[in-house]
Amino acid sequence: MSDFLQLVFQGLGIGAIYALVSLGFVLLIRAASVVNFGQGEFSMLGAYLLVVFFNILGLNYYVSIVLSVVIMAGFGLIFAYTTYWPLRFRGGLPVIISTIGASIFLQNMVLWIYGPSSVQIDGLFESDGIQIGEVFLASQYLAIIVLAAALVLLQYLIFEKTLLGKKLQATSQDKEMASLLGIPVVTMIMITFAYSSALGGFAGILVAPILFVSVNMAGIITLKAFAANIIGGYGSIPGAILGGLALGVAETLGAAYISVPYKDAFAFLMLLAFLMVRPQGLFGEKISEKA
Amino acid sequence: MLITRRAALLAAAAVPTFAIGRARAAETMKIGVVSPLTGPVAEPGRIQLNSLRIAAEKINGAGGVLGQQIELIVEDDASTNPGAVLAFSRLAERKEIVGFIGSIRSTQMNAMAPDMLKIGKPVMFGGTDPTLTKLGNPWLFRCRPNDSYSGRVIISFITDSLKLKKVALVHSTDAFGTGGKNAILANLEKKGLQPALVQGYTNNQPDFSPVVLAVKSSGADVIVSYFTNEPDCAVFARQLRQLGIRTPWVGSPSIQSPVTRGLAKNALYGTYAVADFVEDSNPTAKAFADTYRAKHKESPDSGWTYDALTILAKGISDAKSTEPEKIRAAILAIKKFNGTEGEYNFDQFGDGLHGYNVVINNNDKIDYKEHIEFTD
Repeated sequence: MSDFLQLVFQGLGIGAIYALVSLGFVLLIRAASVVNFGQGEFSMLGAYLLVVFFNILGLNYYVSIVLSVVIMAGFGLIFAYTTYWPLRFRGGLPVIISTIGASIFLQNMVLWIYGPSSVQIDGLFESDGIQIGEVFLASQYLAIIVLAAALVLLQYLIFEKTLLGKKLQATSQDKEMASLLGIPVVTMIMITFAYSSALGGFAGILVAPILFVSVNMAGIITLKAFAANIIGGYGSIPGAILGGLALGVAETLGAAYISVPYKDAFAFLMLLAFLMVRPQGLFGEKISEKA
Repeated sequence: MLITRRAALLAAAAVPTFAIGRARAAETMKIGVVSPLTGPVAEPGRIQLNSLRIAAEKINGAGGVLGQQIELIVEDDASTNPGAVLAFSRLAERKEIVGFIGSIRSTQMNAMAPDMLKIGKPVMFGGTDPTLTKLGNPWLFRCRPNDSYSGRVIISFITDSLKLKKVALVHSTDAFGTGGKNAILANLEKKGLQPALVQGYTNNQPDFSPVVLAVKSSGADVIVSYFTNEPDCAVFARQLRQLGIRTPWVGSPSIQSPVTRGLAKNALYGTYAVADFVEDSNPTAKAFADTYRAKHKESPDSGWTYDALTILAKGISDAKSTEPEKIRAAILAIKKFNGTEGEYNFDQFGDGLHGYNVVINNNDKIDYKEHIEFTD
């Protein structure tokens, strides 16, 4: 039983990481109809900024995190102006290809600046974690689960309780109508890019002490986060969270009780099953309603 | 001064002759190198390339090979199998290349081996999958001990020195890890032992908790590991310690590499590893490490590419020819040659080394424990 609880905890921890990255995907899908394959690189860049501020410049850990996230928000704007803006009237595919290109560019740029070595970085807490009975709760995983929940709550409050949130929602639901109502659609889209980039960067910062900081650190996580997005419901915020958590727990339990080498396969089998049986995902709109 | 037409013609004729003479003097002995310059294993790739350049400088400083200076032609394999195949095909197109330095990754060597057979020129490599030299491909020469030896040394060290018997084996499911697994299982069987756990995993995992819990519940008294990528080994090590497992651990060489130790820190203290390159194990390794440190301000974690180029150059010199068949015969005739990785005695299959060192990680310092050599 203790092994099962340990696995569920690890699964929730890794699932929370998928959920955070997936959330970044979803926001851009909703606001700008963009599937951003550079989302993983946002995480990688966020982690490298932490390395610069904390490991290299020796700033306070929490100050380093804040600075990294703020810079990532600014980077989101640059990303939007260079990758999305020139192609915004060309449909979805050119923008997707543009984000893939940006992702390759960012990876190679970081490789050029920092080299290929993985970098070790401290976690949020000095203690490795706490032991409850036979279950060990690693502090960084605990932090990820708690902070992911806090971010979702914050996001809910912003979207549902503030005027800015309502404007963002209106933009994501119908850009033309929002524009007619006097909502600055372009500003709303840019805010979403900045937020999505900051969120991705923060996810990278949280995961860096576990996976180490490297150019390729976000590769498999981004793929799983995208799968979580489909499982949860394409473009659905609660779907991204639940999809990520479900995927993390399912693959961890699948690995432990069925087969470790097929761990990655469980995630994608789950994705295939959803695509066949419930293509709209857990919380997605029915496809027919969109027609 | 009056220049006659005849003198001008002679001068004109002399120019191209002079140019050809210069070109001949500048001709170099070209060696193709497939190396990971980018991708997840670019870090060890950088050290291997530095070592190659040190070897080339030493050979060239001593007059080169057959009167020619060695020139390395490097292609990036991007740390992937398709990248390796592409890199080798680009090198293979260059007819002037006389031999190659292949990959330390068995999986990449397996991918490139068919093309290497077609090209028919010597390839020095470091991949440790035992089957690579048994493929019927006469052009592959290994400059590291293969995993049948690492497996034998690990099991021999566990049963004879540590006096332990219940083995939990954790291995990557790629060619390197599977080769290691097969070697461990075969050597356990020879000793009449059954493994307590055989657990494969795929590379680049963010979480090893299912593997760690499987090790925990197996009741093993020793862990044996074959990790391909350093971050995987470090993630596993940290989760192992976090879940309170202090079982003795004997790993393949990657567990003691500077990269893995830098990532895992104290989670690897007290672990044992088989290591092909250990600075303190022989004078050639010590001299090479000193040269490397003086040049690059860090210690090397392998010397196989240094040996590979040195042996290839010796093969060409001994053969007094760049004909592939003659170089091959000369390399196979190399016996009792002191390299950084140990004493090379090439066998009929192209394996140069037949033993391993065992080391222990004493608070991040790698101490040499013993060398176990096999003659059969």
